[in-house]
Amino acid sequence: MNPQAPDPLLPVAARPAGAPLAAEACPWTDPAARPFIAIRHVTKRFGDFTAVNDVSLNIYRGELFCLLGGSGCGKSTLLRMLAGFEKPTEGQILLDGQDMAHVPPDRRPTNMMFQSYALFPHMTVEKNVAYGLLREGKSKAEAYARVAEMLKLVKLEPFARRKPHQLSGGQRQRVALARALIKQPKLLLLDEPLGALDKKLREETQFELIRIQETLGVTFIVVTHDQDEAMTLATRIGVMDDGVIRQVGEPHQIYEEPASRYVADFIGTVNLFEGQVAMAAPDMMRVDTPALGAVNTRPVPGLTRGQTVWLAIRPERIGLSRERPAGDANTVQGVVDDVAYRGHMSSYRVRLAGGQMLRVTQSNLDRDADPISWDEPVFASFSPAATRVLTE
Amino acid sequence: MSAADNSPQPARAPRRGLARLLPTGRTLVIAIPMLWLLVFFLVPFFVLGRISLAEAIIARPPYSPLFERDAEGTLAIIASLENYRFLLQDALYRNAYVSSIRIAAISTLFALLIGYPIAYYIARSPEPRRTILLLMVVLPFWTSFLLRVYAWQGFLRREGLINNTLISLGIIDQPLVMMQTDFAVYIGIVYTYLPFMILPLYANLTKLDGALLEAANDLGASPMVTFFTVTLPLSLPGIVAGSMLVFIPAIGEYVIPALLGGPDTLMIGRVLWDEFFQARDWPVASAVAIVMLVLVVAPIMWLQSVQNRRELQ
Amino acid sequence: MNTPNRTATATASAMALALGATGAAQADVVNVFNWSDYITEEVLELFTEETGIRVVYDVYDSNDTLEARLLAGATGFDVVVPTADFMQRQIAVGVYQPLNRDLLPNMEHMDPGLMGQAASFDPGNEHGVIYMWGTTGIGYNIDAIAERFGDDFEVDTWSLVFDPEMIAQVADCGVAFLDSATDMLPAAMNYLGLDPQSTDPADFEAAAELLESVRPHVRYFHNSQYISDLANGEICVAIGWSGDVFQAADRAEEADRGVNVWYAIPDEGAMQWFDMMAIPVDAPNPENAHAFINFIMRPDITAMITNYVWYANANASSWEMVDEDIITDPAIFPPQEVLDNLFTAVTYDGRTDRLITRLWTRVRTGQ
Repeated sequence: MNPQAPDPLLPVAARPAGAPLAAEACPWTDPAARPFIAIRHVTKRFGDFTAVNDVSLNIYRGELFCLLGGSGCGKSTLLRMLAGFEKPTEGQILLDGQDMAHVPPDRRPTNMMFQSYALFPHMTVEKNVAYGLLREGKSKAEAYARVAEMLKLVKLEPFARRKPHQLSGGQRQRVALARALIKQPKLLLLDEPLGALDKKLREETQFELIRIQETLGVTFIVVTHDQDEAMTLATRIGVMDDGVIRQVGEPHQIYEEPASRYVADFIGTVNLFEGQVAMAAPDMMRVDTPALGAVNTRPVPGLTRGQTVWLAIRPERIGLSRERPAGDANTVQGVVDDVAYRGHMSSYRVRLAGGQMLRVTQSNLDRDADPISWDEPVFASFSPAATRVLTE
Repeated sequence: MSAADNSPQPARAPRRGLARLLPTGRTLVIAIPMLWLLVFFLVPFFVLGRISLAEAIIARPPYSPLFERDAEGTLAIIASLENYRFLLQDALYRNAYVSSIRIAAISTLFALLIGYPIAYYIARSPEPRRTILLLMVVLPFWTSFLLRVYAWQGFLRREGLINNTLISLGIIDQPLVMMQTDFAVYIGIVYTYLPFMILPLYANLTKLDGALLEAANDLGASPMVTFFTVTLPLSLPGIVAGSMLVFIPAIGEYVIPALLGGPDTLMIGRVLWDEFFQARDWPVASAVAIVMLVLVVAPIMWLQSVQNRRELQ
Repeated sequence: MNTPNRTATATASAMALALGATGAAQADVVNVFNWSDYITEEVLELFTEETGIRVVYDVYDSNDTLEARLLAGATGFDVVVPTADFMQRQIAVGVYQPLNRDLLPNMEHMDPGLMGQAASFDPGNEHGVIYMWGTTGIGYNIDAIAERFGDDFEVDTWSLVFDPEMIAQVADCGVAFLDSATDMLPAAMNYLGLDPQSTDPADFEAAAELLESVRPHVRYFHNSQYISDLANGEICVAIGWSGDVFQAADRAEEADRGVNVWYAIPDEGAMQWFDMMAIPVDAPNPENAHAFINFIMRPDITAMITNYVWYANANASSWEMVDEDIITDPAIFPPQEVLDNLFTAVTYDGRTDRLITRLWTRVRTGQ
C-alpha cells in the first residue's frame, strides 16, 4: 500500500501525534455523528457463564479504541465477536451500518492481530503477509508488490525471506501487524498487541502503532489489560469488568473523572474513603468521612444529605508539608510511615490519626535539601477540586 | 574409554587407573541398543547376504557352502552374484517389486484419506470423548491380527455378510466377487494399518494451534482453503510419519495377500515366501529379501535427510 | 462327520515356523507333522490313552513347505508325512533314518502290491510306510455343473478345467486349482497326450502354456482352502485331492444348505500318489515315532482314519472294517480298470525341480 496515495479509508480527521484532540476529531461528542461500529445490547453466554453482559457501545471511524480490563472480564470475547469467531447470544453488531450476524470471519471487512501473533510457521514473512491478498484473488505480482510496501512500513524489508522462528519477538509482532493490515481492513482488531514484548520495546512500539494507525487511518480496537498502554494508545478507553462496560471515555476522563470506585482503583493509584454527604449545595459540598473528617469537595448535582458516598483522591493531588498550610484546602494530620524515592518523584504513605493510610506522591522537580522523611508528623492537604465523589 | 579421555570439558575429572578400562555409563546406554541391532538386525542381514551368494542344492542346508577345498586342498571361496542377476532377468521379481510398491502406495493413500479425517476429528474432540475415540482406534490390537484378517473373509466372500445384505436388500442379484481380488487386499491392508496412520497424525494435529486456523479464516480463507493452506502443510510431518508406518510394512506384507488376495495379487512378501517354501531356493529368496531391504531403506534414508535438512533451515 | 481338525493354511504353518521348531525331546511326547485335514483327533486321543505318549500335532498343506523345513534341519519332528516322490529325493539328502522293523510288527498288515509301488520311490520300503494314498482329480458342485451343462453332463474329462471354453462357463461360480506344480504339471501333460512322467523341459513348457491359457478363469491356487469353499458353495469346481473333496462333500451334507459336492477321476487318467510316514534323522524321540507309526498301522486305527478322511489306505487287513460306501466307491478305491489308467509321480532332480518351480510361479502369478 502506498501511504501517499489517496486512501478511501483515510479518517475524516487524523490526530496529529501527541497533540490534544481537536473538537472535530471527537465524533463521540457530537450526538449527530454516525457510529462506525454499533454494538447493541450484546450478550454472550458459554453455558451458564456469561462472558459479555448486555454491552452497548459506539465506536467511530478513525478511532483507536482500547478495551481495558483484567483477565476474564470479557474484552477478548467482545473482540472475537467483532471478528466473527463467536456469535453473540443476544444483541446486534453493526459495522458501517451492516448487520454482521450472518457474516463469517472470512467475509468481514475486519482483520485481527492475535495475541500469540498466530504467524504461519511454515511460511516466510513475505508469504505470511501476502496470505490475505492471495485469498482475495490478487495476482502474485500485485500481492508481492504490496507486501514489499507493507514490509517497508513496518521496517521489515530485510527479513522478507525469513521464517517466523528466525525473528525476534518485536519483529514477529510487526509481521503480525503487517499481515493484518495488508487487506486495508475497515477495522483492525488487536488482541494484546504488545503483551509479549518486554517493557522497553513495548513503549517504543506503542508510538509505532499510533504512527501506523494514523498513516493508514484504519479504525483500531485494542484489547489490553495494561492501563499504561491504554492511556498511551487510546482515543477512548472502555473499561470492562465482569462482562460489563464500566465506563467509556477519553484517557484523561477515565483518569480524572472515574465513574466508579472500580474504575478509579483500576486506573492508576487512588485513595478511597467512605463517607456521608454532610452538605450539598449547588456551589459547594461537604462530605464527612471517618478517616479524614469533614472534607470540602467539588459539588456533584443530584446528591442528598446523608447519602453514602466515596471520596477518590489521586496521590499526586495531595500536598505534604511540615507546617499547616494556609488557605481553604482540606488538611489532615498524620505521620510518615514509609517513603519510596522513585527518581522523578517520591511516594509517601502517611498514617492518619484513625490508623488509615493515605498515599501521597510528591514531584522531585524542586526537591529541597531537607525532604520530609520517616516518622515525621506532617500535614496533608488537597483542594476541593482534587476530590471526586463517587456513588458506586 | 576414549570418550572420557578426549572430553573437551575441563570440569570432568580424568579417569585414572583401572577405571579407564571400564565402560562409562554413557557407552553402556548406547551399547544396549547397538547390541540389539547387531544381534537382531546386522547378524541376520549378513547371514542372508552370505546365503544370497550361494547356489541352491537339495541338501541340508539347501545351499552350497561358502568355502570348498579343491583337489589340492586349497580353500576356495564360492560366491556369485548369479542370484541377483537372476532377479534382474526374470520379470517376475521386477513386477513383484513394482506391484508391491504400487499396492503399498495405494493402500497408504487410502489409509491417509480415511485416517486423516478420523485423526482430525479425534484431535479436535473435547477430552472425555477424545480418550474414548483413541481407545477405539487402538482396541483392534487386542485381538490377533490373523483372526481379524480371517474375519474379513466372512464379510467379503460369495456367501458373506456384504453379498447377503446387498442381495437381500435387492441392490444386486448376483453376488459380487470380492474375495481373492486386489480389492480385498487393499481392504485388508488399509484396515490393518489404519491405526498406524491415525496415531502419528493425531499426535501432530493435537499440536496444531487453533489461532492459526482463526488467523487464516480472518484473512479471508474459507475453512476449506484454510485446511489446504495451513492445516495440511503443518501436518506434513505427521503425514510422512504415518505414511511410512503404513507403507513400509505393507510392501513386505505376506499374510494379507495370502488370505485375501487372488492369483493376480503379486506381492514381494508372497514371492519371498514362495521362494523359501515352494521353490525351496534359499539363495534366491535371500537375494529377494536383501533387494527388498535396500528398496525400502533407501527411500527412508532419503526422506530422513530431507526432513533433517528442513529442520535445520 | 465332525471336523475336529482345523483347516490350517500355509499361513498357520508360517506362524508356527516363525515361532521356531515346535518339537521337544521329552520321553512322553511324539511330535507329528502331517497334512491338514488328514486325521481324526480320536486316533490321537486313543494313542495317548494306550501308550501314555502325548501327541504334539502340527499341520502343513504342501510338500514344499515340508521340504523347506526338513532341509533347514532341526525341525524337532518325530513323524512327517511326505508324498513318495518328494520323499525319494529327501532320502537321498539323508533327511530320514531307516525304519526299525522290529518296532513295527503291524507292518504285516500292509498290502504288498501297494507297498511295492511305493518301493519304487524308496527301495525296500526302508524309510517309510504308506499312510494314505489317493488321486488328484476334480471336485465339483453337482448342481452348478448341471445348471451350466445340463443334467446329463458327466464330469469325466479334464476338459472341464483345461479347455478354455469349458472352464469359462464355470468361472463365474469359482474355480480353484491346487498350488502344487508336481500335481498340476503332470495332469496337464497327461491331458495334452504327453507322458505325465516326462522330464523333458519342452513338455513342461507345453503344460505351463495350457495352464496359462485357462488361468484367467481360476479364482485362486491353494492346497486346502478349496475344501471349505466347495462345501459352502464359494466355488464350484476344484482340482483337488480325492479325500479332501470327499471331506468337502461330507461337510456340505452336514451343513444341509443345498450344496452337493462330488469327486471324479477323469477318463484321461489321473495321478496316484502315496503319502508316506517317515522319521527324520534328527527326530528327538525315534522310539515314540516308531510306536506312533505302528499304532497307525493297526487295522482298526487305519480304518478309523479312512472312514473319517475318505482317503484310501494300503492296509489290507483294515479294508473289512472300512465303511461299505467308502470301500465300494470307485473314486476312492478305484477298480482295476481305473487303477490301470492312473500314473504315479516321478522324482525330479534339482535342475528339473528348479525349472518346474519357475514355470509354476509363472503360471500362478501370471508373470
